[in-house]
Amino acid sequence: MQNALELKTWPSARVAPDAKAFIAIMVLCVVSAAAFASWLPLQVSIVTLFLFAGPHNWFELRYFLMRLPIRFGRSRNFFLTAFAGLGVLTLTYLALPFLYNATLWSEEAWYAVMASWNTALLVWLALLVWLRSKQKRGANWKWTIPVALALCSLNWLGPDLFSLAIVYVHPLIALWFLDRHIRRTRPAWSCAYRRCLWLVPLVLAAMIWQLSLATPLADNNGLFWRITQHSGAEVLPQVSSHMLVSVHLFLEMLHYGVWIIALPLIGRIGSARFWEVRTVPIARHPKGFPRIVAGLLIVALVAVGVLWFGFSFDYSTTRDIYFTIAIAHVLAEAPFLLRML
Amino acid sequence: MKLLLIAFCLVLLTTFTTNADVPKPKSPDKQAKQILHTGLEIVPDPKIYEAKLQMSQSTFNNLRAALDGGSGSSPVVGGIAFSAPRTIVAGLLMFMAVSVAGVLIARSSSFGRAQKTIGAALLVAVLLGAAAIITRGNAGPPGSWRWRNLPQSLAEGKSTVGGVDIEIVPDDQMDSRTMRLLIPLKKQNSPGEE
Repeated sequence: MQNALELKTWPSARVAPDAKAFIAIMVLCVVSAAAFASWLPLQVSIVTLFLFAGPHNWFELRYFLMRLPIRFGRSRNFFLTAFAGLGVLTLTYLALPFLYNATLWSEEAWYAVMASWNTALLVWLALLVWLRSKQKRGANWKWTIPVALALCSLNWLGPDLFSLAIVYVHPLIALWFLDRHIRRTRPAWSCAYRRCLWLVPLVLAAMIWQLSLATPLADNNGLFWRITQHSGAEVLPQVSSHMLVSVHLFLEMLHYGVWIIALPLIGRIGSARFWEVRTVPIARHPKGFPRIVAGLLIVALVAVGVLWFGFSFDYSTTRDIYFTIAIAHVLAEAPFLLRML
Repeated sequence: MKLLLIAFCLVLLTTFTTNADVPKPKSPDKQAKQILHTGLEIVPDPKIYEAKLQMSQSTFNNLRAALDGGSGSSPVVGGIAFSAPRTIVAGLLMFMAVSVAGVLIARSSSFGRAQKTIGAALLVAVLLGAAAIITRGNAGPPGSWRWRNLPQSLAEGKSTVGGVDIEIVPDDQMDSRTMRLLIPLKKQNSPGEE
């Protein structure tokens, strides 16, 4: 009787024993990432991108392959829309720098081009949400239509600010993936993980508070200038570039941590050897595509090597190329996240 | 008739006198114009013999850009360019967003869900409003909060960091001075003093 009463007193306060280590590691990672990002933002940014950008893309590709069904079945339209949008949006995004160099359009015209691309992205996302909601019984996601329209509207008012918002929001999507993954594979950890997530806005608030008046970072060479520009120093010139780079770096470090450490090590995927192609369902299945999967993973591995070589040879140019091509993985996260909802 | 003429002359003369007494209209004083908000550190240094005002290159560039732009508005808001075509597109899309949201709420069979939607919309509006207040209205703790320990820090030889607004002031309002630093310090009464 006494035990029963104890159980009823604080049912939500109990944390699974094995979750405690996970939470401790997560808190340590968040705090140390914030400390490093605030302390030496430019230097840590260079090292972090060099070490983790390529591998995190490899792990992301492998994760998406694991989530890909062998036959699309009822999801055919969803995947066709996803892949078609992914291809068109990536190609048009890659074409923008060439278009910029080839044409002499006014600044206002470029704002319109940026706004149009962002609108296409939002329309694609809204379409995917609609297709996904049709597959889910009882799902009523119609509210996303006015939200998408409102976002389109805000985008047309400040296309550069909207693009910058994507840069800052994208790393946080990894935390959403981790949330869905934990709910599927380790439901006992879910509550503790979500409580832990409150640490992120608190740390961000502390960083902004501390760094808002920090001296702007020296962007006297091409590489430092690129890093500060990527974090929005040109779009927000009155905000300390130190704060912008630190906050962006902190989010990027969380993003890399989730894809390279957390997701591969948690749950069923963690028990499998990630380098073995047969651990991917569409490669293991009798009607699967083991050669295509193996080929994709090997090509991605070669790309990681090429990226490291490029960073060693010409860091600045490789960084520019990487962040242009990386839009593909930003876009690819959307359909796979929707499939997990 | 003579009396009327004298009265007329008197009134006319009074009018001139009255007009002569009217002081020349004052031209409105030019107001100081805030062009940039940045950080400032006040450092007591016993090794130097002349006060120095040091400024980072990037801050100087921002200052120059702000002067060239001639706009006191924050670039966050300034980035929201008010070009006619984009504003029209944005307005149409916002109109569609509000219309679709209204139709969805009206057609919603479950009132609880509608309440949640309205709540979410209100939350977004409040967040946007708060962001606007923070960016435009300098909300949050007053800037003087960071300067409150300045006298004590100076006495102890420590540095103090706080925010600073750079203002361009007309020459005639500077009393022959070239630069002036105003610190928002409140007079602190000593114990027992009213």
